[in-house]
Amino acid sequence: MMLKRIWIIFTRDLKVNTREFMAIYMMIIPLLLAVGINFLSPGVNDTSVNLALIKNENPGQAAYFDDFAHVELFSDEQRVEDRVSRRDDVIGVLPENNGYYIMTQGNEPGSVIEYAKLLNVLYESDVRLEDARSEIIEFGRTVPPLKKMLVNMLLLLISMLAGMLIAMNIVEEKIDNTVSAINVTPISRRAFILGKSLTGMFVALFSSIAVLLITGFYTVNLGQAALVVFSSTILSLLIGFIQGLNSDDVMEAAGSVKLMFLPMAGSIAGYEFVTGNWRIFFYWSPFYWAYSANDMILSKSGSWPELILYIGIILAICGAVYALLAPRIVKGLQH
Amino acid sequence: MKLLSSIKKELILASRGFYFYVELLFALVILAVLLFAIPQNFSHITTEYLYFNLPQQGKEIFINNILEDDPDAKSEMAEIEAGGKTFDAELIVTDESKIYIVDSEETVRILADSEKNLGAVIELNENNQLYYKYYLQGYESTRFKNLISILFNESTEVLEDRINNQEVRPLSTAYEPLTDRENTIPPLIAFSGGLMGMFIMASYIFLDKKEGVIEAYAVTPSSVWKYLMSKIFVILLTSAVSGLVIIMPVMGLRINYGLLLMLLLATGFFASTLGLLIASFYDNIMKAFGVIYLLFFILMVPCIAYFIPGWDPVWVKIIPTYPMLQGFKEIILSNGDIVYPLIASTGFLAAGIVLFFITNIRFKKTLSV
Repeated sequence: MMLKRIWIIFTRDLKVNTREFMAIYMMIIPLLLAVGINFLSPGVNDTSVNLALIKNENPGQAAYFDDFAHVELFSDEQRVEDRVSRRDDVIGVLPENNGYYIMTQGNEPGSVIEYAKLLNVLYESDVRLEDARSEIIEFGRTVPPLKKMLVNMLLLLISMLAGMLIAMNIVEEKIDNTVSAINVTPISRRAFILGKSLTGMFVALFSSIAVLLITGFYTVNLGQAALVVFSSTILSLLIGFIQGLNSDDVMEAAGSVKLMFLPMAGSIAGYEFVTGNWRIFFYWSPFYWAYSANDMILSKSGSWPELILYIGIILAICGAVYALLAPRIVKGLQH
Repeated sequence: MKLLSSIKKELILASRGFYFYVELLFALVILAVLLFAIPQNFSHITTEYLYFNLPQQGKEIFINNILEDDPDAKSEMAEIEAGGKTFDAELIVTDESKIYIVDSEETVRILADSEKNLGAVIELNENNQLYYKYYLQGYESTRFKNLISILFNESTEVLEDRINNQEVRPLSTAYEPLTDRENTIPPLIAFSGGLMGMFIMASYIFLDKKEGVIEAYAVTPSSVWKYLMSKIFVILLTSAVSGLVIIMPVMGLRINYGLLLMLLLATGFFASTLGLLIASFYDNIMKAFGVIYLLFFILMVPCIAYFIPGWDPVWVKIIPTYPMLQGFKEIILSNGDIVYPLIASTGFLAAGIVLFFITNIRFKKTLSV
């Protein structure tokens, strides 16, 4: 009986949401972003040094540099200087006294200048690709780390958007006074919560799987990914629901969403940039565990026990948050 | 006079609302992150696994070269755990890398594969020349692969000597690079302050629509543009205050606050009017938020170019966040360009005025609906 009522709320919610722009939008926007990641990723991964040379001054040199760097050609020295002076990091390699000197703007990172110097020295030392005394053995990983990071961020964002969808739904329900009306129906508050959550969960699962497929992660364990999305969405829904119930107007809900971004962004930064024991400071954040679990799945490096541990931690934190905020949810539903 | 009174009224309302304090809290949290979580400079240490398939003497020459290159380098014995196994290695930590010297090619392969770092085996070929076998992940760019293929064709000493003698002529020597901590400020203030104005303006408008404020406004002598301007003013004040809260403790008195305020206000004005314009096309906040979110993600792309110096395609430069980030960067750079932030501020102000003009016309038609 209870399940049937939850199902009724879910199907009703789904029907209402498909008529609304937002739910459709929340399903489509991650897919567009996934296409965007596919578009951006190769260019960013191919990042090297950008060199500016004089056209036809030494075509052999330009062809040589092209194997190692992005090369732009200009008609004369002044135009090379103009290009170097612009805001991005482009290094000029200009002829003088039977040799070449490096022209910089003065604000480039040291690594960029060192790379340009090295290339010029290799060229002047006549070190050729065809003379290479080396071989490269690859492990066949084609997804660059940046793409993996962006996809992981997108997966977390999807669960955030799902939470927001619930929050906005609740605010609307409050405005329409349907929340109060629930109290005089046979549907319990818990059933109402679950029913409302299922729509967000459905949106999150659909979008996450689609994002993984679009971005080329079709060989990852989709079942594992679905489990992580499911668990991290529970937290987002919880926060979304609490926001929805405690926000009297959309301004408050919008402000709360901004606050929600903070632990998410912090957790990603913590995982990516913090090393060693300092990571302990991020253990409280379920987003940290969700990001770690996603990273494991996307890298195809994790085991089931590890994944279950991460999901367990996420769910335990969600449980603690629920236990802490359950009175507020009940209170919110009474008004 | 009516404008001033509207602004005053809006400020009183904002001070009683939740949003104003969220913004301040957010700025304080960002400041705390900047001061305590983000180091002055990120560590860029890479990890490498090496196996010298050479006579002991040859191996020692390599190790001594690594140690001599960096006087602070330390060598110690270490254990590496990977794939459920433990491997013994000699670890050399330099300024730039952690080099694990292991005792077999198989170990290099396992570690490079499981830990996703670079592995290399150095041996002699049939002509008794040094030969390098690299273990890469597969996603590295062709240009990078080309470079490491030939990197050791010439002796390291000869290359280093030539690199050190390579003449570098900077067009200006006045630049002083930002620390990594300072470098993160422009994206933080651009997104937290200026661009969030898009969301908040849209929220304000729909809130007022819902509460019937708009209809009430239609029967007052005050004009629509004054109503919109008073809303924008609250956003500008909030973003200026939160921007200063973030910047002042980190940058102290080293920067030109006049320029900073100008750019903060101009970008805030631009973002607010953009939010208003988008809101004017929709009858419900969800739809407006949807479009603003999409726009927000597009506006985030220049952040990638900002942090990756070699990736700067032309199409990224036409996204408004690009001049926004570069403008803030110039302001916090010592000896930064003054003209660029001025031009950027003027551009954002002009674009904001145009957007405001269009929005005003649209709202005149739609506000009372």
